Amino acid sequence: MNSRRDFLKTTTLAGGGLVLGLNFLQSCVSEVVSMPAHVIPLVGLQNGFEAEGAFPITDFLQIRPDGSVFLSLTKYEMGQGVSTGLTSILAEELEADWEKINVRYIKSSVSKSDATGGSTSTLQHWDLLRKAGAYAKQLLIEAAAREWSVFKDECYAEKNYVYQHGSDVRLEYGQLAGKVVVPVNYRELFETVPLKYRSKFKLIGRSLKSKIVPDIVVGRHPYAIDLRLPDMKYAAVLRCPVFKGRLLSFDASEALKISGVEKVVKIDGVTLDPVSHIRDGVAVIANSTWAAFQGKLAVRAEWDLGDNAKVEHEEFVADCLQRLDSDEGREILRIGRKVKESEMDEVISYTYEFPYQHHACMEPLNATSHFKGESCEMWVGTQSADKIAANIEKHLGIRKENIKINCYPSGGGFGLRYSSEYALESMLVSKAAGGDLVKMCYSREDDIKFDYLNPFELNRHTMGIQNGKAVSWDFKNVMANWGGNLGWMYYNIPNRSATQVTVDGFTHVGAWRSVMANAEGFSTECFIDEVAHKLNRDPLEFRLSLLPRGNMVDFNHSYQCNINRLRGALELVARKAKWGKQMPERHGQGVAVYPYMHGNGYGAVVAEVSAVNNEIKVNKITASIDCGLVINPDQVRQQMEGGIIWALSAILYGGTEYVNGVVQRSNFHDNPVLRINEIPEIDVHVCENDESQPWGVGEIGGPPCYAAVCNAIFAATGRRIRKLPISKTLSANI
Amino acid sequence: MSQPDASILKEKILNMATIRLLVNGTSYEKEMDPGIPLLWALRDILGLTGTKFGCGIAQCGACTVLIEGKAVRSCSITSESATGKDIQTIEGVEATPYRSLQQAWIEEQVPQCGYCQSGQIMNAIGLLKSNPQPTDEEILSAMAGNICRCGTYPRILKAIKSILDNPSKSNNI
Ligand code: FES
Ligand code: FES
Repeated sequence: MNSRRDFLKTTTLAGGGLVLGLNFLQSCVSEVVSMPAHVIPLVGLQNGFEAEGAFPITDFLQIRPDGSVFLSLTKYEMGQGVSTGLTSILAEELEADWEKINVRYIKSSVSKSDATGGSTSTLQHWDLLRKAGAYAKQLLIEAAAREWSVFKDECYAEKNYVYQHGSDVRLEYGQLAGKVVVPVNYRELFETVPLKYRSKFKLIGRSLKSKIVPDIVVGRHPYAIDLRLPDMKYAAVLRCPVFKGRLLSFDASEALKISGVEKVVKIDGVTLDPVSHIRDGVAVIANSTWAAFQGKLAVRAEWDLGDNAKVEHEEFVADCLQRLDSDEGREILRIGRKVKESEMDEVISYTYEFPYQHHACMEPLNATSHFKGESCEMWVGTQSADKIAANIEKHLGIRKENIKINCYPSGGGFGLRYSSEYALESMLVSKAAGGDLVKMCYSREDDIKFDYLNPFELNRHTMGIQNGKAVSWDFKNVMANWGGNLGWMYYNIPNRSATQVTVDGFTHVGAWRSVMANAEGFSTECFIDEVAHKLNRDPLEFRLSLLPRGNMVDFNHSYQCNINRLRGALELVARKAKWGKQMPERHGQGVAVYPYMHGNGYGAVVAEVSAVNNEIKVNKITASIDCGLVINPDQVRQQMEGGIIWALSAILYGGTEYVNGVVQRSNFHDNPVLRINEIPEIDVHVCENDESQPWGVGEIGGPPCYAAVCNAIFAATGRRIRKLPISKTLSANI
Repeated sequence: MSQPDASILKEKILNMATIRLLVNGTSYEKEMDPGIPLLWALRDILGLTGTKFGCGIAQCGACTVLIEGKAVRSCSITSESATGKDIQTIEGVEATPYRSLQQAWIEEQVPQCGYCQSGQIMNAIGLLKSNPQPTDEEILSAMAGNICRCGTYPRILKAIKSILDNPSKSNNI
């Protein structure tokens, strides 16, 4: 199923007609998540179900006789908008009627290109989707030309029709789809198919409405947690409270008395790699989620909690600090030379702490699995089915071609669903239950306590000053359980270095929206603000003075940091927020800018904060983004709003607490996130630019937000924040 | 693997009862544990999965339904206590004048992942039923029980206000 396939294949339809299969992503055959058709469609869109008589123009693109076009998503929808953005790219080149475009969710995806993260979906599939759309259009035009016995150059396509120049004769795509013929040299034609000029775009650049929202508002958008299959059981797992602890024994007698509970089985933990591990546990199999949850509460288990139960947070932080002070570390960036302290008149150095963070996606982790010995099937909301399949193959010995993964849209991903542990865990449950088809669902408490947390980070920035000018900038980071440091040091200081140390924390970590750019955006932009104040410079003017136009900086990343774009975002936000305007007493403005190199997008934020009556309030966030060519301005704004609110939650309430290796937070009462009555006014501006392609969007808003808010708190109160969340730094008397 | 023995099974059967739930105008009679929260009865027993599970402890609002026209967190009441009452879930909204709220959600492009939105819409309907012309403050405080991790709050506020600002839409309600 996952064998490398041709871009194109020919298929014979039952009716005898030759149609083209254009498998433009070398992925497996896609099927469709079956879900009930709308009883009363709100706006006539019906995403995600199969229909009779659809012509598979490609494995990913179907045109039905009525002209409706179905595109299978090649990246996972989790709220970031790929169902709309990616389809609009294809529809643009296909000259399709946007109203006739629908989305299909990939049923089985084990491919090379599915992993969805790093704000890269659009930039990775932009070129491919354009070519696919353009090539399919060309084939439709050729089919029409044959029908009319004219040259294809005499025809053109517009809004789902092929026309003959200078006449009213036309054929709808639905009438033509079954008549498409594949030329022998299709590969070459696909690669060289002419694409539209940017000035001719009709869909790209417009705020087209989301393709999934009509299904969402009627409660019928399909999430894995909503799955119902015949003979399906429900499962909840009591997990070892401490990472890598072991189950000694358990007693299920009370659990088995609960009505609906059918079986109680042991789950043997699996170590996936040094930092990720499926916990030992006890799974309760029942006839409803509720009965499984109740059963889980009634299971008694004894654990050997292991070494992670001995980790104390204060000691852990002290150890991190010591290692920050030591010479240890891996150098990941070096620009210029090492400057001796004797060459500096002054050294400015501060340390910043970014805590562990919880995801708390609104859809709790869940997956449904059916273990059948030599083969298996799974239904799951994921950011990477490839990873799930690889882990099943490795740990359960099922060959990849016998693994079927049905991928659903997620109720939030934010990096959590990039990890595959919960999915593999559900397969272990099905296996332990003797091959029952089982939907395993985390309670919210499970979802918080066993979250793959954002790694704790300590960041230290040190700047050497000579004659009032910065001559060196050194950055060192200590991070729990994750290697890699970004070292995105974009300020033009002649000598720069970044060093990284990984330490063992108490638990499992994972990707968390914007990943390391959160901690490093926070520390870098708070620090540069501190330096500006020390040198009596305006924070905006000081930043701009260190961002020379035309500079491209190499961080050993796939993309070079484009200082013009970074500067453009900063200048735009400063203008829109009226940087430097008069603020009332105990009110302040703060600014920050940060690149997000994984997606090559740039964001900047100005925050307005007040500190009156002992209450810090974020009143307004003005933000800008340069994400290259804009596919859908409204969706860009939507992602920025979401990213900003995400960061504000972390600023105010983020972090976690653990005692004897056990996470203390459990649900939304002790892991608060921002609510509607706490949000500031948010004003987002999208930079005009002449980039020839789209870049990342989803993770650009958060990173500059932390520092902008903290710098604004400084402007309002004179207090510097070097540790998040602010509730732990600023308690009283602010 | 532990298996239940016969005596346990007998005890369980005693815990079951026939519960009649009236959802979106349809009456369902099912055997269930009368103590099962309405949320799980709707989702796992009746198969009405538009109502979502978010926290289980009345903290997030994802499970909001209307009972006798009032917004209620279905995770925190038993199905027994909802017996015979008029229950409305997201699946039934299209057939009511409140479909204009769903349209407003589309118009303002509120949802991102969408998971919290059934609860948001049901809670907004509950608000408008009890207070057809809420002020901004009243909207914010009424909607504060509904968490959206994607951060769609600015648009939720806009969507509700768009109904109020548009007499032709609000008259339909
Ligand atoms: S699930 Fe009921 S309030 Fe959260
Ligand atoms: S839209 Fe995703 S949680 Fe609200």
